[in-house]
Amino acid sequence: MTTFREYREALKEGAVPARDLPTLPSDAIAFQGERAGFVTRALAAGIDVVLVFLTVLGTVAVVWMLSFIIDPMTPNTPLTSSTDRLPPTWLMMVYGYVLNVLYWTVGWATGGRTIGNLIMGVRVVNFRGERVHWIGALVRALFCTVFPFGLLWVIVSGANRSVQDVVLRTSVIYDWVIGIPGLSSRAGAPKQAP
Amino acid sequence: MSDEDEAVRGEVILVTHPAPARQAGPLDAIKGVFSNTVGMAGYTASTVASLIEQTVATAVESSVNAALDRLVPSIADAIIERIDINKIVLEQVDLNLIVNRALDTLDLTQLVIDRVDVNAIVAEADIDAVIDRVPIIPLANYVIDEIDLPQIIRDSTSGIAGDAMNTVRRQSVGVDDLVSRIADRVVFRRKSRDVDAPGDPNSLKGQFVEELVEPTPPLGEGEKLR
Repeated sequence: MTTFREYREALKEGAVPARDLPTLPSDAIAFQGERAGFVTRALAAGIDVVLVFLTVLGTVAVVWMLSFIIDPMTPNTPLTSSTDRLPPTWLMMVYGYVLNVLYWTVGWATGGRTIGNLIMGVRVVNFRGERVHWIGALVRALFCTVFPFGLLWVIVSGANRSVQDVVLRTSVIYDWVIGIPGLSSRAGAPKQAP
Repeated sequence: MSDEDEAVRGEVILVTHPAPARQAGPLDAIKGVFSNTVGMAGYTASTVASLIEQTVATAVESSVNAALDRLVPSIADAIIERIDINKIVLEQVDLNLIVNRALDTLDLTQLVIDRVDVNAIVAEADIDAVIDRVPIIPLANYVIDEIDLPQIIRDSTSGIAGDAMNTVRRQSVGVDDLVSRIADRVVFRRKSRDVDAPGDPNSLKGQFVEELVEPTPPLGEGEKLR
């Protein structure tokens, strides 16, 4: 416990007691900033992939519905299978991959987080501990999308690093924010990262 | 047996004969009377002398005492008036030594506790003046930081969604740790993982952590409490 005298001396020496609600449970302070383990990262990536998959499905559904506007069915139209109006599978896959790369690039280069990262409370930083740059984020997103098994290296790595982390000198750290923005109360709202 | 031994064994016999009584002459009578008279006179003279001595001593002592009783105070007063005792004491007496000796022998704290009515003093004290000198705002800030009031507010206001998400995160961190330990055991890694990443997490920015206040070293010799 800090005594009042120590407290006053710390203030005199320039310590600033900021009380801007860091939005962190006390028991989670200890491991903030440490490299995250496999399960957390896999869950975060899984959430992202599911989101991208849902987006692809949504896009396909929209395209399918639009096709009826562009090419409406008439009594003369021959009755074909409804799957004929769907884009080909390879196109959907390419679209999914591209969307995933773009999503991760934007997420990591802007706030260091994707939605999956946000939910699981992790953030991607470069070798200086700062936010990765756009090119770095793009390369990492490509690498992770093309070779997702690189994440498995976290399990055996002595520093909780995936293959991508080792190659690109990045880290994924525990960096919680309280709640989902918009769902949490005002008092628990996270501060925007600078 | 030698001749010497024969001599030793010889006996000595003492025979007493009553002396004839001497007739006291007139000269002896005169001697007796004279010696008795002289003895009586000496005894009487010594008795009288001692009586006189006692009488004189008593008379002189009382009169001298009376005189001294009158004289000594006035003389002493006159002396004291002419002498700067303070100066003498200050110059000649090691007051520090005496005071320190006195303080060493006294338990002042106990003395105060026993003899002084602290409650009465406090009752008379001007508490407002004391409070005016107390740094209330820093004290309040200290209490806020020490009880971690922001954490209390946060805990009482954070939403259910946030709690649920934190629970998932916490469990996930626990499983991370478990997986890491199992993997470390499988690959026979003995030292713990180097999970310290560069930089600070955003979640801790602005946090007044206890480490910010360096523990002060114990007071050294000659250092005083402020």
